[in-house]
Amino acid sequence: MKRLLKLFKSDIARIVVALIFFISALILEQSISPYGALALYIAALLISGWSVFFDAVRGIIRHDLLDEKFLMSIASIGAMIVGEWHEGVAVMLFFLVGETFEHHAVRKSRASIRALMDICPDEACVLTDGGEEVMDAEDVEIGSTIVIRPGERVPIDSVVISGSADVDTSSMTGEPLPVAVSVGSELSSGFIVTNGLLHAKTVRVSGDSAAARILALVENANESKSREESFITKFSRYYTPAVVIIALLVAIIPPIFNLRSLTDSIYTALTFLVISCPCALVISVPMAFFGGIGGAASRGILFKGGNVFSATARCDTVALDKTGTLTNGKFTVKEVIPFGIEREQLLSLAASCEYASNHPIAECIKSASDNIIPPISVREQAGYGVIAEISEGYSCAVGNIKLMEKLSVDLSKLSVAPEGALYVALEDKLAGIIILSDKIKSEAESAICSLHRLGVKRTAVLSGDREENVSRVADTVGIREAYASLTPEQKYKKLEELISGSKSTMYIGDGINDSPSLARADVGVAMGSVGQDSAIEAADIVIMTDNLSKLSEAILISRKTINISWQNIIFALGVKGLILILGLLGYANMWLAVFADVGVAVLAILNSMRALRAPKQ
Amino acid sequence: MKIKYTITGLDCPNCAAKLAGQMSSIEGVDSAKINFLTEKLTVETTLAESEAYDALSKAAKAFSRDIVIEK
Repeated sequence: MKRLLKLFKSDIARIVVALIFFISALILEQSISPYGALALYIAALLISGWSVFFDAVRGIIRHDLLDEKFLMSIASIGAMIVGEWHEGVAVMLFFLVGETFEHHAVRKSRASIRALMDICPDEACVLTDGGEEVMDAEDVEIGSTIVIRPGERVPIDSVVISGSADVDTSSMTGEPLPVAVSVGSELSSGFIVTNGLLHAKTVRVSGDSAAARILALVENANESKSREESFITKFSRYYTPAVVIIALLVAIIPPIFNLRSLTDSIYTALTFLVISCPCALVISVPMAFFGGIGGAASRGILFKGGNVFSATARCDTVALDKTGTLTNGKFTVKEVIPFGIEREQLLSLAASCEYASNHPIAECIKSASDNIIPPISVREQAGYGVIAEISEGYSCAVGNIKLMEKLSVDLSKLSVAPEGALYVALEDKLAGIIILSDKIKSEAESAICSLHRLGVKRTAVLSGDREENVSRVADTVGIREAYASLTPEQKYKKLEELISGSKSTMYIGDGINDSPSLARADVGVAMGSVGQDSAIEAADIVIMTDNLSKLSEAILISRKTINISWQNIIFALGVKGLILILGLLGYANMWLAVFADVGVAVLAILNSMRALRAPKQ
Repeated sequence: MKIKYTITGLDCPNCAAKLAGQMSSIEGVDSAKINFLTEKLTVETTLAESEAYDALSKAAKAFSRDIVIEK
């Protein structure tokens, strides 16, 4: 009995049974018994439409007379009453078929996006005093040691403390090549360990880990609505009542003036009721963005909302930060020039001052010294450097030449100001300089070139670094404008200038002093893997790798997604409009009307799924 | 208090928006949002957790039998 009930509820079974009744009724109607046919029609109607009728009654109870199920029921029963038996049944049957397709299509798209998002295990294997223990990832505290075996995913952001392995980072970064990790390497949740066993110390709780943050970004993405989406939502609010009113007029007016028979008029009106359902319209746009967000995520590009697509698609100006964006941001100490103190002592001083900073330069200095003493207090001065109190009343400053000038440190010992130098001062005396080098990313030139090819007119690098460094980088990679020696405030002003002269400006950055600019730009892009949390927070797009060629990919994905959403809008509105007109002229029947509703919705969903696939470069 | 649920069985974004509107008008529920595509229901409420769940489920059932809300 229970199985029978389940079968009765399954849409496919209902369609098949109703269809059998429907066809037999059609045959019977042609030949012998019209009333026998009516009985079969009613059976087919009830089988295919019972759930719709139930929901229609619920709609009436809620006083919602514009409910689509209610309108559909009226259309179907109305058609039966005016004697169009097979049309009345066909409406319900087609509606059921269409809905089944629609649900299937939605389910498939959800599943394909979820598969992309299924990146992080819920459980972690924790090493405790009593041995290994499998725990809910949520319950693992910071600083616990977790064990990750070959083939397993990293459950929580952590740092390797023993073992070495190759990890597949593709689900987090979109990069296909595995990365070798060993003691000290950072692991993001979502990485897959392909060989070797790792012990790692957790540095975040599961909820703050990379994978959880990505999921939250993608899940909340749809909440900020794009212009296209707001347009269609607003439109549909007026669309249904308007069509229902037209339907009423069409039913009443022509018969009053004896222009058409009452039955014909009512039939046209009922057709209109079917067309009045806004579903195909309402689903067309968000579905396209959903596909776009999912497709981009699988390539390591996270869009933080549907609204980002239109701004990105229109982008004609691109401004970039230099360090960590155009360059690797992985500095190495090239030269150490101490003045009056030991080389090791100078490095130790600088590293201690940078103790709390996670700027790429700080990371480099810290890795160059193994004698780091946490300072008493630190003041970070964005765009200049840091000033730390290293022992009671004794301060040390580490930063660029501007910081030294600000603190009026005596620089007479220097003959020239070397490129890429970091100055260390004890009180107001220069203790030494550390010369760092940073490499331009290998893909930078081709990435900038493809941005130009995509129609980006202005490209500019905005940097706090010195003139010659900035112009050298800009020339090498083919960026047309270079602005150097900018403080964060000046950077922001420069960006506003660029924005005011453009259709849409993209800003790409990573550091602390970039957050205001990221938030101000029409499209703020944070380069994720080296990016800092505050930057990722302020950005509209997060790129999981620091690969610059993802920028043109983001623009292409946006253009494709926007195109698809407009195709959907125009297609849905066009088909509905056409059938309304045909209806007014007396040509459209209910079958066409049902196609205009569910058929269009299904096609819009299928079209949207194209957004999941990569656009052609 | 902000509570998140999974909501399944909705037919289309239009119904989702309507149901969310009705849930928002429940007393003690400040706002209710349904994301049709990710099947997430987010409510801002002053009700206790179990009360909120019951009220929301009731609203969902009054809408369509197929809709299921899960914590």
